[in-house]
Amino acid sequence: MSLSKEKIEKIKDKVAFTCCRFEAGKTIDESVLEDPALLPDFVDSGLIVVPDNVLKVREVIGAKLKVTVDALTPLTTDNVENIVSSSEPEKVEENVASVNQQVETQQVAFQTQPQMVTSAVQSNGMVNINIGKGENISISFPAGGGVSTPQPIYNEPITVEGKTSPTASQTVEQETVIRELKKEYIKVDKVELGTNTKLENGVLTLNKSLAKKAIARGNGIVKKFEYEVITEKDYGKVIDTIMDIQPIATKVEGELGQGVTRVLDKVVIMLTGIDGNKKQIGEFGSSEGEIDRNVMWGRPGAPDKGDIFIRCHVVIEANAGMERPGPLAAHMAADVIAQEIRDELKKATSVTVAKTEEFKHTRRPGKPKVCVLKEIMGQGAMHDNLILPVDPVGTVGAVPNVDLGNLPIAISPLELLDGGVHALTCIGPASKETSRHYFREPLVIRALSDPEIDFVGLVLVGSPQVNNEKFYVSKRVGMLFEYIKPDGVIITTEGFGNNHIDFAEHHRMIGQRDIKVVGMTYSAQQGGLVVGNEYMYAMVDLNKAQQGIENEILSNNTLSPEDAIRAVEMLKSIMAGNEIEEAERRWDPSVKLKNVKTIEDALGEKIVLELNEQSLEKSKKRREIYEKE
Amino acid sequence: MAIKGFKSEIYVPITPPPVWAPVTKKLSEMNVSLVTAAGVHLKKDKPFNLAGDTSYRLIPSETPVEELMVSHGGYDNGDVNKDINCMFPIDRLRELADEGFIKGVSPVLVGTMGGGGNQHVFTDETGPKIAEILKEEKTDAVVLTAGRGTCHRTAVIVQRAIEEAGIPTIMIAALPPVCSQNGTPRAVAPLVPMGANAGEPNNKEMQTNILRDTLEQLVEIDQAGKIVPLPYEYHANI
Repeated sequence: MSLSKEKIEKIKDKVAFTCCRFEAGKTIDESVLEDPALLPDFVDSGLIVVPDNVLKVREVIGAKLKVTVDALTPLTTDNVENIVSSSEPEKVEENVASVNQQVETQQVAFQTQPQMVTSAVQSNGMVNINIGKGENISISFPAGGGVSTPQPIYNEPITVEGKTSPTASQTVEQETVIRELKKEYIKVDKVELGTNTKLENGVLTLNKSLAKKAIARGNGIVKKFEYEVITEKDYGKVIDTIMDIQPIATKVEGELGQGVTRVLDKVVIMLTGIDGNKKQIGEFGSSEGEIDRNVMWGRPGAPDKGDIFIRCHVVIEANAGMERPGPLAAHMAADVIAQEIRDELKKATSVTVAKTEEFKHTRRPGKPKVCVLKEIMGQGAMHDNLILPVDPVGTVGAVPNVDLGNLPIAISPLELLDGGVHALTCIGPASKETSRHYFREPLVIRALSDPEIDFVGLVLVGSPQVNNEKFYVSKRVGMLFEYIKPDGVIITTEGFGNNHIDFAEHHRMIGQRDIKVVGMTYSAQQGGLVVGNEYMYAMVDLNKAQQGIENEILSNNTLSPEDAIRAVEMLKSIMAGNEIEEAERRWDPSVKLKNVKTIEDALGEKIVLELNEQSLEKSKKRREIYEKE
Repeated sequence: MAIKGFKSEIYVPITPPPVWAPVTKKLSEMNVSLVTAAGVHLKKDKPFNLAGDTSYRLIPSETPVEELMVSHGGYDNGDVNKDINCMFPIDRLRELADEGFIKGVSPVLVGTMGGGGNQHVFTDETGPKIAEILKEEKTDAVVLTAGRGTCHRTAVIVQRAIEEAGIPTIMIAALPPVCSQNGTPRAVAPLVPMGANAGEPNNKEMQTNILRDTLEQLVEIDQAGKIVPLPYEYHANI
């Protein structure tokens, strides 16, 4: 292993180990040292131990080996002589600091004179600055904040054209509202079953004889269909696994993503299901049991305390739970109930609006351009999503993501918030995004409302089942963002595991195009990344569970407002050229708290952190599996 | 405003992009080769340079184990000196061919030292060269083993080169984290110490089971980067 000179500069404060066997008397240079990034794995494997007296890379470069050493030997005062004194490196550090200072100055200058730096950024990702006056010093350092290592795979010349910060004339450009969406929440005091569906004076009466119609829409796979009304007093009821939580909403003006949408206030559809063998329909865990012990109240995708549930329960053909048609049929059947209510909601006249939400998609020329890329599932079975129905979270008009080839789809942020995604995703309940999650997506809401960024828009991308297709799709993502040319992208994914392969690849495809990237996923203890690359330097962990695990509590580890704040602020930080400190090798919940505090201190605002499962009574699984007493 | 002082919240292993050669034949139709980064070579060959060696040695498939030896300074050679099959299960592979579990042993098997060797040379020269040789010999699949940490890394580099040439591979790893981080396409991980990846020396049953399971996983593993634990355990007394 030989390290390059640029690499040595980056790792000068890391510990020094040999990469091979070297004879006594050898002068230590970059070819002698092992890449420090690999050492933690060797420590984990028990291959090496890092002694207290190990020297830093900067201390050994130029020094000599006193004795012959094997590969992976720590360099210490025992085996190295002529160690570089510490005073000199500090001086070097000062120089480096002053260079950084100059770079910052350059970046400020760059805002008004972009061409100066354009010429300095080379296609190999290095910035070369020549200071002609005085000592004729040449300084080279990697472009892009110095977090990523060089060796870009993307070999096209990196230019900064079109990505300049505002010029004086741009900053006075008008903000433009390109789309508006109003959600009117219709007050419902009571839901009951009756002979006809109607919504009058705060009472929703639902036709009790729809089961047959629902089964008929279940493609022959739905064997049994029941529905009932559950109110707060019955939250202790034992139910089967929750496959989805859906708002009940309909368009009354305009099409999806703009105009006016009516939403039932505090009433949701809760879809639960098992198969003919009484097996829960869920792959990586399931949330069956008492409702109030298996639901993380108030998360964007979960029920809120006080909500009335119209619980649709399906029994599908035995063993159909893990095949594509099974869960899809369950959703199709339940949509009969939802559509019955939507139709009534659309025409109801004697309604009271309990509250109104207004969303505006405002373009802010001159501010840093930001996109959100949401990776959603598209693997058949319950890993799929229906994209862009006619009515919010409906099924009519929507196309399964798997049939769209999982390719990136530009979707307006307001289309998403208007129920543009009907989610079939309930694999691991704690980390999966339900239909209601998309209807209340906190990152999209945060991005829309931040006046310091120009939120360009939202792209959804599927996560295919087949490995090769993951890369096919990811390449399209890269090409799309090459055209959009945003300054920064926030990438989110739900769940964990194989979808992290795509997630990582999206970071690479976007990051290597010189676009700043922040990634958001559940990781913590159980969802640790299996792959990664140098563009994944700014990551937000969605975990809330005390143990850092998937504990089968619905929505416990999903993207929440507190995560959205950290991600947007982190992106603004890196777009401004700040560096992000490297992550700890092991999950440490205090890192998130420190980031929260950093934001609170800077903005002078308190960030409300979500409660986790510890606020609930223990479910059976927590008692018996995860938190044994 | 741009806030300073953030720390990334998720550890990210830096892994190269995956490579993947699909399995297209049944095991009973495959000619299988062994490639090891454990310093195996013919006794008559020039030994490897223990300070890091990027060269390789070819081992004809019919070579008796008595004509093989190990030159490797990186791991305890105790086990491999007792029974070279614990790192280079050539007898076991021939037996599996005899019983028809696989079609045959590829005419050429390959030994490298791997430990500490220059990664760039392995990536740009040695790996592709070994892949080319295996391709010429119409090898259908390759099983790899490796000595210690840097050897596991080297083995994965070679594994990736072979895979890029279109031959599916699987690594028997004693150090799965190293394989994972370096982008192994497929690997299995029995509970073995470094120096006996393929099972306890002179324990024919364990070695056969490990090799058989490894070949089955070659077919079963469905995506790059998967490492499957194998239920065999051996503690070396060194």
